[in-house]
Amino acid sequence: MHLLLLACVGAVSLAFWPKSQDPAAIDWTAAVDKACTASRYGLRLAAAKQVANGGGAAVPALRAFAQQKGQNQIPGSLVDTIADADGVDAALVELLREWAGNVDFYYRASALRGIALRAPKLPERREELGKLLGSFHQDPAWLMRTTARFGNALLGDDAAIALAETDPRARVRLATLLLAHGKTPPLQTLVDALAEERSFLGNSWGKACADEAHIALKKWLGPAHPLANGGSFEGDVQKGIRALLGPCQQKSGQTLTMPVAVAARPVAIAGGIELLSCKHGDLHLQWTADGLVQTGIDAGREVTIPAAKWAPLWNDRTALQLRDSLGVVLCDNLRVCWLAPESNVKIAPLALPPAAVNWLKQLAAVIEEAGESRLAADLRSGLDQFAAR
Amino acid sequence: MFRLPLLLGLLACLAGDPTKVGFATLAGFDYQEGMKLPKDVTDLDEQVIEVRGFMQREVPGSGPVSSFMLVNDACGCNGTPKLNEVIFCTLPDGTTMDMKTVTVTVTGKLFVGEEKEDGVVIMIYQMDADSVQ
Repeated sequence: MHLLLLACVGAVSLAFWPKSQDPAAIDWTAAVDKACTASRYGLRLAAAKQVANGGGAAVPALRAFAQQKGQNQIPGSLVDTIADADGVDAALVELLREWAGNVDFYYRASALRGIALRAPKLPERREELGKLLGSFHQDPAWLMRTTARFGNALLGDDAAIALAETDPRARVRLATLLLAHGKTPPLQTLVDALAEERSFLGNSWGKACADEAHIALKKWLGPAHPLANGGSFEGDVQKGIRALLGPCQQKSGQTLTMPVAVAARPVAIAGGIELLSCKHGDLHLQWTADGLVQTGIDAGREVTIPAAKWAPLWNDRTALQLRDSLGVVLCDNLRVCWLAPESNVKIAPLALPPAAVNWLKQLAAVIEEAGESRLAADLRSGLDQFAAR
Repeated sequence: MFRLPLLLGLLACLAGDPTKVGFATLAGFDYQEGMKLPKDVTDLDEQVIEVRGFMQREVPGSGPVSSFMLVNDACGCNGTPKLNEVIFCTLPDGTTMDMKTVTVTVTGKLFVGEEKEDGVVIMIYQMDADSVQ
């Protein structure tokens, strides 16, 4: 009787036992195709996991898909999943290297994260991969340079953590990455982010940073996280932050202070652009009706355009007042925003009409004349990706 | 066709203010398929909530949508959202809207729990979105 019971339990257990992937038994072409094209997000994720767990065995199918459909048809979800998987096969690392080094590949920062996470596991390639990561420390794309610095920090180079960084999103991301991978960064960066509420042309990036910092601290603190109701700050942010400070100080041994809320300077913004590019880096520009131009996601720098130079641009602004989004956005995009008449559209690469391109080139020219040649050059090079041809 | 959702929305409003929920709550745990979801999250099942985030298409494309993914990331720079970092929002029957490119506040009834298709979990948060502002 006992033997019969044992046999039954054994049979049932075996039926539900997770099967390890036999790479030879999997149709990698189909798996990659599903990870790239399935209509449901969850199905794409599940297929991506299968591909990622295949390691080097899936690489030929990945290369074939990119060859056939175009590299940027490989979704970020697949690159991310491969990056975060365990495989260290030479073929896979080589593919990640190629992707990370390809400035035209939208998800090169995800590929670089794959390198960063694998470098400590490959002692014989430590120096080589460390140099590769170091070569991206000043990349114009914030996600690339952040991932590169994170990778070098994982290899023990703490100087990479201390490199200057102007983008607040990058400062938060580096700290959350380190925290999630067992390396406690200076936590004041995350504590300060908890109070962020700034936004740029309707994009509440400050709240997103605050959530990112809070989630990272919540996972790191575990049961020591003091807030009830899911740790939500909804209601009283300052009270919530104050409650978090103690446990964070206790666990890290760091002295932390309450953040000072940073508010945007109150100016009447008339319009602006948000150029998000994993190729050239992001560019945020917003302007007032009388020619004050602010740059940076935090509007941290300002350029005043002389009235005589600004007036023709302002009078011709209908050239940039686009009614509809243009093109199919996969990743990189240009958002054009006006407050009156209100419009907010997204433009895919190679889809910005010539009149709008010309208006922004004229803006670059007056910015240059106002002494900001670097900003003008960044705007011109950024535009190049979006101008219709 | 439009009356029922509107009525439901009205009833929800009459029932009281929606519960404000943030992604720090919804995404504040490491999700593993089949796990017991935290009580903070399961308590929100079938509650009318208000949540801020960014609209994302489930499949790249253009034109109006009848459903969308709500995520806490404007640019896709947070990496691939995990299933507990996405709310799959459905507009009332017959309703479509243009994708908004800025932060939106979505109000509606949230449903919490694993939903499977082809044996694979495809979502854990679904929402009947009554308003998107």
